Amino acid sequence: MKNFAYFRPTTPEQAVALLEARWGNTEMLAGGTDLLTLQKQYIAQPARVVSLNAIGGLKTIAVGERSASIGAGVTLATISSHADLRRLFPALTMAASEIGGPQIRNMGTLGGNLCQRNRCWYFRDEHSPCLLRGGNSCSAIEGENKYHAIFTQNHRCVIASPSTLATGLIALGASAEVLGPQNRRRNVELAKFYTAPVGPNDREHSLAANELVTSVTIPVRGLNSAAYEVRQRQASDWPIVQVAVAFSGGRNGEKATGVRIVLGQVSPTPLLSETAARALEGRPINEANATAAGRAAVEGAKPLGQNGYKIRLVEVAVKRALMLAAGLPRYWEA
Amino acid sequence: MPWPVTRRLIGTRIQRLDGIEKATGRAKYSFDINRPRMLHARMLRSPHAHATIKTIDSAAAEKTAGFRGIYLIKKAGAELFFAGDEILAICADTEEHAEDCLRAIRVEYNVQQHVVKEADSLTAQTNVTGGLGANNIVAAGDFATDNFDTVAFQGAAATHEASYGIAVISHQCLESHGLVAEWDAKQENLTVWASTQAVPNTAEGLRVHFKLKPGEVTCICNYMGGGFGSKFGPDIQGIAAAELARSTRQPVKLMLDRAEEVTVGGIRPSAYGTVKIGGTKEGRLTGYEVDCYGTGGVNRGPTVNFGLLPYVYGPSIPNVKRRHRVVRTNIQTARAMRAPGHPQNAILTEQVLDDLAARLNINPMTLRLANLPPNDLAERQANPRTYPGQRADIYRTEIAIIRKMCSWDQAWHAPGQGGKGTIKTGLGMALHTWGGGGRGPNPTRVTINTDGTVVAQSSSQDLGTAHRTVMAIIVAEILGLQPTDITCIIGNSQHGPSTPSGGSTTCPGTSPAILKAVELAAEAMLTALAGRLNVQRNQLSIAPGVVVNAANNQRIPFRDACRQMGVPNVQANGDWPVQKDLQSNAVLREEWTTRLTNQGVGGVQIAEVKVDTETGVVRCSRFWTVQDCGLIINKLACESQVAGGIIMGLNYALYEECIYDRQTGRQVNPDMEFYKLGGIADMPNIYVHMHDMPERGVIGIGEPPTIGTAAAVGNAIFNAIGARVSHAPFTPERVLAALNNRQAQP
Repeated sequence: MKNFAYFRPTTPEQAVALLEARWGNTEMLAGGTDLLTLQKQYIAQPARVVSLNAIGGLKTIAVGERSASIGAGVTLATISSHADLRRLFPALTMAASEIGGPQIRNMGTLGGNLCQRNRCWYFRDEHSPCLLRGGNSCSAIEGENKYHAIFTQNHRCVIASPSTLATGLIALGASAEVLGPQNRRRNVELAKFYTAPVGPNDREHSLAANELVTSVTIPVRGLNSAAYEVRQRQASDWPIVQVAVAFSGGRNGEKATGVRIVLGQVSPTPLLSETAARALEGRPINEANATAAGRAAVEGAKPLGQNGYKIRLVEVAVKRALMLAAGLPRYWEA
Repeated sequence: MPWPVTRRLIGTRIQRLDGIEKATGRAKYSFDINRPRMLHARMLRSPHAHATIKTIDSAAAEKTAGFRGIYLIKKAGAELFFAGDEILAICADTEEHAEDCLRAIRVEYNVQQHVVKEADSLTAQTNVTGGLGANNIVAAGDFATDNFDTVAFQGAAATHEASYGIAVISHQCLESHGLVAEWDAKQENLTVWASTQAVPNTAEGLRVHFKLKPGEVTCICNYMGGGFGSKFGPDIQGIAAAELARSTRQPVKLMLDRAEEVTVGGIRPSAYGTVKIGGTKEGRLTGYEVDCYGTGGVNRGPTVNFGLLPYVYGPSIPNVKRRHRVVRTNIQTARAMRAPGHPQNAILTEQVLDDLAARLNINPMTLRLANLPPNDLAERQANPRTYPGQRADIYRTEIAIIRKMCSWDQAWHAPGQGGKGTIKTGLGMALHTWGGGGRGPNPTRVTINTDGTVVAQSSSQDLGTAHRTVMAIIVAEILGLQPTDITCIIGNSQHGPSTPSGGSTTCPGTSPAILKAVELAAEAMLTALAGRLNVQRNQLSIAPGVVVNAANNQRIPFRDACRQMGVPNVQANGDWPVQKDLQSNAVLREEWTTRLTNQGVGGVQIAEVKVDTETGVVRCSRFWTVQDCGLIINKLACESQVAGGIIMGLNYALYEECIYDRQTGRQVNPDMEFYKLGGIADMPNIYVHMHDMPERGVIGIGEPPTIGTAAAVGNAIFNAIGARVSHAPFTPERVLAALNNRQAQP
């Protein structure tokens, strides 16, 4: 790991003041579950590390009648066990409870989960060509890509978006509070937070290098929601695909409205599937309609050489997430 | 000197003596050893799968903060055969300094063509992997019984031909390879704390390298975190650490990091093949034909056990044809891994059996029972205790037991009838066999002290199989004590020779020597005591906790008896007869190799899986096994080791695979993130039944329980979904592809 100067500010403003306008030289440290690994592998080589762990204000959860706010420094374990969050936002808490293992959940934070780097094994191997590390080719497109993106149109880098909280929060209509230099605050819809990176100066999101996510606000709308992961291992593992859904009504034959279906691990950013939502909008949630939504979700997918199977997994994950959110039987748990 | 006929401790379930130490971290593994003034070493490795070194420039590294020493392994001009191949080692004040130094080294390479995929290597017309030979095929075998092509499938009611295979996997030891090296002040004696399966061999390897005299190298291994055949010597990193320790006159630690452990710690070779098999309508196999290939990386060694294909059933299949090619690839070298060749053999034999059973509409258990390797009657007459003379009986008994354990008759269904829902359940079985015989030298010393303490000592090592506890049980059994009364000192090369822990040989190799040592020690104690008590030696005997004096019916507590010996201690050494005597003396040979110990085991395994047919995710829900290993010393450790073998086999079946990139030649998953290993939540309930055969003596149990597991899981998946997943690991994409193929076929 390259040597670095360590900063430990106590307010968000102090933290932002320590950041730089360009990515790379200064990195933010929260739980460290991603950054430390990247540093040990020399993928991240910051000269300055700004710890966010002494900032008390980032660790609060406030649940109001119209919205809930979760500090960016709240741990994944806290989110997954928070009674109000579990009641109001299953799409968020179900996903949080499945991340990594207990060690990761106890250290990892909401902000870190949303801003984590991708898991592409070429990106994380300093000896493999990678666009995001300044190379002029992507090793995954013709290489080992069974975990990579299947919605690859117009993408030169085919990473799969890793955050499993992002999908649920997008489905729930959440937004991020962002603090920038000179105390500039902005509120970004999470649906517009993510961007597909193409080079070494890009991240997987639209945050400027000198901006900090301080909290996430989720509107309380009484939505039915859920998240579902297809994962190979029950123990600590990444999902192969993950889907979060939210809608009003939809149960007991009632029509579902405001349907939002978000796909994770299938493209460089979380994918809000309009085709899937359209297929379901105004219909009750049942197995047949959920299946149709799953089929609609994969329209336009363009998989790589080894990951065509993920199309089927997306169909299934959409169906199961919808059925979970609608309170229908878990037919897949025999 | 036979084993006791009535056994108070041997064969019972006894907790390992060092369990608390291991669970609390008080047990210090080689990785935990830190010596005063110790430096940390790291190795520079080839980033390329195949290259030659043009130049090495270490000037900047030598000026980097913390730099202490450098050891060149390869020079300019040297050829590098895989990504990870060693170039040099460097030591510095801390691991981080060492890493900084490594990154300051400039190496120029002539990058050459490489091949990392077996099929590419097989079809390449020229040798692109480096080394000798016109092409990449480094070993080959062809064999056929007479007139195979005309007679093999004559009279067969059905044949089945399909492709089967299993990927290259890594040893992935939890404690990585490496050691701590320290020279004495005069630089004459070297001590290493190594993670090793062979304490004296590791010391000897270093002694030879440094041209030292016997006894000048000490290897210590008190505890180790996993060795499955990849830790038999100092290895290049051990030699590098000792070289650096000598040149810097400071202790040096060099343990591989996780990525290194996965990329250079040793692989199990792959095996892929087309297999054809035929059988009569009664299920008698008529012929077996296999054409297979695999890679051991840069190694020339075998990838399957060629002579044992078809596996287990070979002796009862009249017509056999085998073709085998070992292809060289630019990946690390294969190292013996828990039953070398056997799991691959099981993959190429057991799965096609179930496919044929389906074609013949026969229950696969019935098919196996019809084709068990027959008892070797000549062998049985010569010695009724040896394995070949009773192998059919052993399998038949074990199958009868497991059939009840898993309710096979009720639970088994025809392939593809695994339930109406999305989740299909299936059962699959496999048989296996292994040798597991041990030999000497394994000198063991037992000391009985006047204060009543008892010490057993040898140089042997504990791979995690509770070897200390084996020693303690045998010693305590003979002395009428409890295992916790015995102090066991192992893992030090100064204690004399011992055999490497490989091939399931530790328990059978050491236990008769321990028995002999403790019996001689007990004799010496009673002789001394008889003199002091003024009784005949034969009037004294040992009973639990006491020495019994038949002269006056007195029961002397063991500790009091020790106090009355009149000498500070009695000591005895036990070991195997020398090899020459074993060979020439039939009585001795029979005693040691067919009564005290033995070799050859069977074993049967059955997996129950649940397959999610929408996602292709497979979970093993229950697993049963019946396993013989002769006389069991510690039933608890034995059952635990069997469960461990199954866990390893389940990972082999479902998760593990070294994935190499064709273009870069590099492994993309040198980690525990995408080199997947199941966690507790992924493991089934495992039901172990030890088929105790004490009359056969002690036989090793290390390899057998991991051999058939992957094949059993493959068969269970076939049984659940009615489609064969041809290649392991049985990952979601492969299971889905098999389901799609099934649907595509008429």
